[in-house]
Amino acid sequence: MISWPNFRRAVPALAVLAAVVAARAEDTFYAQRVAPILEQKCVACHGEKKQKGKLRLDSFAHLMRGGEGGGVVQSGDAKDSELFIRVTLHPADEDFMPADSKPPLTPDEVKVLELWIAAGASATAPLSSIKGAPALAAPKAPVAALAPDWQPRSAQIARLEEELGVRLVARSHLPTDGLVLRTAGAPTRCDDAALAKLAPVADLIVEAELARTKITDAGLVWLATFSNLRALDLTRTRVTSAGLGSLASLGKLESLNLTSTGVDDAGVARLKDLPALRKTWVFDTRVTGVTADPAASAK
Amino acid sequence: MNFLPTAAQTRRAFLGRVSQGVGAVALASLLGKTSPPLHGAAARGVVDPLPLPQRAKRVIWLTMAGGPSQFETFDPKPKLAQLHGEAMPESLTRGQQLAQLQGQRLVCHAPQFPFAKFGKNQTEICSLFPHIGSVVDDICLIRSMTTDAINHDPAHMFMNTGSQIAGRPSMGAWVNYGLGSEAENLPGFVVMVSTGPGRSPQPIATRQWSSGFLPSRFQGVQLHGRGDAVHYLANPGHVSRAQQRTDVTAINALNRQHDAFVHDPEIATRIAQYELAFQLQASVPELTDLRGEDARTLALYGCAPGDGSFAANCLLARRLAERGVRFIQLYHRDWDHHSQLREEMPLKAQETDRASAALITDLKQRGMLDDTLVVWTGEFGRTPMSQQTKGTAGRDHHNKSMSLWLAGGGVQRGLVYGATDEFGYAATENICTVHDLHATMLHLLGIRHDAFTVKFQGLDAKLTGVEGGRVIQGILG
Repeated sequence: MISWPNFRRAVPALAVLAAVVAARAEDTFYAQRVAPILEQKCVACHGEKKQKGKLRLDSFAHLMRGGEGGGVVQSGDAKDSELFIRVTLHPADEDFMPADSKPPLTPDEVKVLELWIAAGASATAPLSSIKGAPALAAPKAPVAALAPDWQPRSAQIARLEEELGVRLVARSHLPTDGLVLRTAGAPTRCDDAALAKLAPVADLIVEAELARTKITDAGLVWLATFSNLRALDLTRTRVTSAGLGSLASLGKLESLNLTSTGVDDAGVARLKDLPALRKTWVFDTRVTGVTADPAASAK
Repeated sequence: MNFLPTAAQTRRAFLGRVSQGVGAVALASLLGKTSPPLHGAAARGVVDPLPLPQRAKRVIWLTMAGGPSQFETFDPKPKLAQLHGEAMPESLTRGQQLAQLQGQRLVCHAPQFPFAKFGKNQTEICSLFPHIGSVVDDICLIRSMTTDAINHDPAHMFMNTGSQIAGRPSMGAWVNYGLGSEAENLPGFVVMVSTGPGRSPQPIATRQWSSGFLPSRFQGVQLHGRGDAVHYLANPGHVSRAQQRTDVTAINALNRQHDAFVHDPEIATRIAQYELAFQLQASVPELTDLRGEDARTLALYGCAPGDGSFAANCLLARRLAERGVRFIQLYHRDWDHHSQLREEMPLKAQETDRASAALITDLKQRGMLDDTLVVWTGEFGRTPMSQQTKGTAGRDHHNKSMSLWLAGGGVQRGLVYGATDEFGYAATENICTVHDLHATMLHLLGIRHDAFTVKFQGLDAKLTGVEGGRVIQGILG
């Protein structure tokens, strides 16, 4: 095996030579399989903006240049290549990469790196020249927005929380993940009038936890404006079958909890056209035909 | 700043000292840049918004205090049965930590009860636990847990705080500090302790639910299952609720004045606790009034209202969960079977099996299991070796293998994760640590364990310690 400094000098010559015989860059194993892994899992800290350990992994040249500890790829020998070693340590090891509990490489990704280094860590080897690489997973659909960005309305949200004594909590750090309406702290403060007052932020609310509140059938009319609602908990409210008709427009509603309400079979029948509804709980109601196994009541 | 290394354990003391010397506010704000400001930790919690999707909104932690034997609960070992009475291989035990078996002959002890197959995966569970068996398709059983500690108190401490040494915040305190408390008129962290009838095993110290270096309003509040749920809570006969309101308001106004002057988080705690105690005077009687629970529910759990049993506490745990309590921890004592394992294990099974399963079933039928994380665990496991110190045989404390289970709140259902060797002596496959369990639980609650830190004694202290926990990805649903 050639030593690393020699190899580094040899790279431009090899590249020129290889370019003649190799496929176009976008058809290479490096471009198709290796670079995307580095881009996704490494470049945040080893790229143009940050160069932790003086290492960049955002291009083949940078990768081959290595970092402050020297080269990170020993061509032909994965087990001796820092790039491979670091991602295969025990996750609790302080040298494990990606650091700080960022998402680790998947076993398939590790395999791709191993095969590529073993085959010579080439920038130009065609995709088909390295056998045995795990198939690429189908690309994940981008995370869909569950609701409009709540941030422009944060002052209004804070005002409503203060006025109504309910909580409107961001579901996650993604501002398009919507808000959760929480009332468990003091459910009796939340009534039909409070639901009406939430109208200005209704489209931001993705989950509404209304268990044990004073909501009645009349209040459910206001829920019709909660256009992005996916989960609704009406446990132990005075809601009845008559009110459920108001939910007909909630096209995104996936989960509905009607435990200990006045709902009966007629109410459940009103839900059958809700296109996204997957789970309905009707424990402790007059709904019939529900077996002892609660899983059976999940639609 | 030479007082720093010798400062007492809490930031309260630290800030108290600072307020006598340097400008307290200035320094506090300086510190605030590097760690979340403890003083202002609102009901909302310091981790806001959450960095991860929240799969579990609350935790119900069932602690089987004393250390249940995995061989008589969840880890079948037919090979151990065959080797009953024979010497344990020295290759396994040489140089390893022992508790009470030090210096004694180490002999294999067969599982004392048969195992039966349950659920769609035919998971083997000890036949003493048929009800837990009946919900096995809803639980995630881990057979490869390990712990550092080998004695009760440090083992509980490790399980609760991530450190064997007392003084760190318990997980319930961490979680309420991070996520805030949902309930306005109940504590965010509630603890209940039960014991089988007529028994008096090791005590559970209240330091197990301490808030450590976090402000003490995050500590667990113990409710009692028998008699008054909170001692001395009711007003004396001549004090009306209106009078009490006036008193609390006046006292808190004075405390606020003082707080504005000295900025001591413990005063904020005092204000919050006066208010909470006032709220508890109304909320606790409502909470513990089981008249609204129908006969079917009482039969499901197998309890009578106010009987103080583990089963009654499980039912109260569900009621606490419904009322927005974030972290509910039930201790059931007396699993420390150094002797009379065969005689006493069935009693523990009887006291916990139906109730544990009922909690799962009840949460599930009410649509609450999806976002409630239930954990069932002891503080350590027990040895495959017998202990014959007194009476009939039992098993000693053991930290290299133990079984526990989780359910709901984003963990896979019907999963058996990890395995031990054929003696059940050590976890061998998918070995898990207590730090891993904590990391996973925080993950499910929407918190990144490695970023969830508080400055303490010059370090970024975290629940998962410095050894490094990792989220047990294999059990996430």
